[in-house]
Amino acid sequence: MSGQGRVTARAGLFLGRAALRLRRIRAEQRARAWQHDVLGPPLRLSPREKELVGRHWLEARFAPGLGRKVAWVTSGAPVELLKALDFFVVYPENHGAICGTARVAEGLMMEAEAAGYSRDLCSYARTDIGCVLSGRTPVGRIPRPDLLVACTNICQTVLFWYRVLAEMFEAPLLLIDTPFVYYDEAPAHAVEYVKRQLEEAVPLLERISGVGLKAERLRDVARLAKTASELWMEVMQRNRHQPAPISAIEQFIQMAPIVEMRGDPETVDYYACLLAELDERIARGIGAVQAERKRLLWDNLPVWYRLRDLAETLGRHGVVLVASTYTNAWGELAPMIDPERPLESAARTYLHPILNRGTGHKLATMRRMIDDYRLDGVILHSDRSCKPYSVGQIDQRERLTRDYGRPALLLEADHNDPRCYAEAQVANRLAAFIEMLGP
Amino acid sequence: MNPLPAPPSLPRRRDVAHAHRARGGRVAAVLPIHAPRALLRAFGFLPIEVWGPPNVNASHAAAHLQPYVCSIVGNALSFLLSGGLDVADLVLVPHACDSLQGLGSILIDFVHPRATVLPLYLPRGQRPCDVDFLADELRALAERLQAVSTRTPTSDDLFACIEREAQADDLLARLHEVRARLPWSDPEIYGLLRSREFLPAEEFIPVAEATLRQTGPAPRCGVPVLLSGIVPEPKAVLEALRNVGVVVVGDDLACTGRRLYRRSSDPDPYRRLAESLLSGPPDPTRGSPIRDRLAHLRELAGRSGARGVIFYDVKFCEPELFDLPRLRAGLQAAGIPSIAIEVELNDSQPHQALTRIEAFAEMLA
Repeated sequence: MSGQGRVTARAGLFLGRAALRLRRIRAEQRARAWQHDVLGPPLRLSPREKELVGRHWLEARFAPGLGRKVAWVTSGAPVELLKALDFFVVYPENHGAICGTARVAEGLMMEAEAAGYSRDLCSYARTDIGCVLSGRTPVGRIPRPDLLVACTNICQTVLFWYRVLAEMFEAPLLLIDTPFVYYDEAPAHAVEYVKRQLEEAVPLLERISGVGLKAERLRDVARLAKTASELWMEVMQRNRHQPAPISAIEQFIQMAPIVEMRGDPETVDYYACLLAELDERIARGIGAVQAERKRLLWDNLPVWYRLRDLAETLGRHGVVLVASTYTNAWGELAPMIDPERPLESAARTYLHPILNRGTGHKLATMRRMIDDYRLDGVILHSDRSCKPYSVGQIDQRERLTRDYGRPALLLEADHNDPRCYAEAQVANRLAAFIEMLGP
Repeated sequence: MNPLPAPPSLPRRRDVAHAHRARGGRVAAVLPIHAPRALLRAFGFLPIEVWGPPNVNASHAAAHLQPYVCSIVGNALSFLLSGGLDVADLVLVPHACDSLQGLGSILIDFVHPRATVLPLYLPRGQRPCDVDFLADELRALAERLQAVSTRTPTSDDLFACIEREAQADDLLARLHEVRARLPWSDPEIYGLLRSREFLPAEEFIPVAEATLRQTGPAPRCGVPVLLSGIVPEPKAVLEALRNVGVVVVGDDLACTGRRLYRRSSDPDPYRRLAESLLSGPPDPTRGSPIRDRLAHLRELAGRSGARGVIFYDVKFCEPELFDLPRLRAGLQAAGIPSIAIEVELNDSQPHQALTRIEAFAEMLA
């Protein structure tokens, strides 16, 4: 990397950080005047979270200029190893979510579709491919990957998608294959298989990054990842209180650091502050909605382009989404992470996310969460773009209703493609469901 | 002038299963794509594959699966729920994609069919660790098969089964090589090739040998094409190809051409099975790079003399759909035109697909 390049990158970072700080200060000023007829006051920390995520993408942009290698990874990838080797880690799924909330995903997907990628493919993948093909992104610029890492613990789709990226960028693709766990726990040979893949990946990663793996550094990153995951779990568990201080819809926004900055000290600091703010809200009786009446569980990815609408629609009826299996997934595995045995525990941890486990396990998780958070019903987002999450929901819904006495609604949509969102139909079904919840 | 020899008379899948049961045998219904036939045979199960099937009452599956799940998986569940798999003692669900994963999971957790359901995870790579894992996975499957069958085959029994299946696979590969010179139509040839999905190897072998003796000196007349995709259903499409003068000279279908496994000589029977299962032509469900698929298609087209490629896919099939744009662009760059057709298995007369095939054939001719 040339000296001139480094100077340019540093200058860009400096200016970008200053702009993000200014944006945060303005957002904090606006938030003080914020009023809503049904929703509770926003989190004071929200502008800081946006700044944190903004800085992540800013640093991504200038990472190559500062001599860092860039890895594009799937959201369930064992990122600790990459961070310990000083890769800058970029999450196309998170970028997809940013495009979804910014409502620019549709245009990007159409770019991919024009290039021959079917509308039946995952909308995150289409958003990402459209971004690569067009160069358009709301985060400024995404650096080219020096490495792609696809871990199959969230779906097989990511491997099909990353194979496409590998050809587009002519970048090496590292596969971490995590056999699906049909029964209670992954068998020993599956744990050994994942551990071996991680161990065998080290020489390749060292060669690309130019950095040797140090055991102490890996332990530190694992420790930070564990602490952040524990704090995130505590954040969600604060919703055992009534009224719930943070809705699951807000959690969808607040989860960005635990996904894309897991293993960073800033993430630990941020969630510690968030926890303190939630405790303050609990002490002051501040809820996510002003008059909490019914508490619901959300299953599956959010509908990124309708978060606010959903919060308001539910809030008008005193209904709050208190918990979600999706946000829960980023905290529930914290006890499995063992910084003293980072690779072995990573193998076990990354085999067991909810998406890599059977449909019966998800039902059991939902039942546990219903009890834990004292929930009145469930909305199951039947997400056209996420088959691993959605297949099984019809049976899960039936059992929640029949065996567990909780009303459950199956809501057809797509997490990133607004063309699959039937506005009137969703409104009607939500209205009927809310009525069914009773007074 | 000698009349053309009649194509081999093949029993129906269902009749083979019932006849096997009537003889006191056990039947394993096996879902797509890659499965260890020899292992099932060693435990006394006759594997009968279930690719859909087409034209079943799909409403049964609607009680469990969303409409955006592919019709191979949806139909398999409908078929099971309507009693179509009552003949089976066992349902084996290899893990090929998210939809098959979901099917296996809901069968185990919610549907609870009478037959025992066993999943099998197939690794997505071909590294040494993938072979070792698959060998372990097959050992674990063997333990479950033992529990279901109460049979304990010896190592020699297993090797014998492996050898018999390898012989059948060798002949299947030969049939693919000479397919253009067989004196029958493509619907008839696919009937023969796909009988490997349900005939016991010892019955498939003499049929294949007799067929190979019918190999003629010259290829059949027609516009030569290569067929890629998942499964040649509904059969109306094969009939349509014949009617417009197209001859399938090469095959990259998941149910046929992607399952031409090579022999392994590993001294451990489970590793031998694993190496062989991972040795087939490039396959997206096994994680093969797209460039390997493209190279394979180009090589296949060159070797067979195909003038074009028909990608014949089932709607919602992600493994196929992700690869299509780059495969088609790569083929185009090599001067090989292609067409992508999407169908639903229950659409017995997919008019739009048939019209497009006709136009493609005219263009090639």
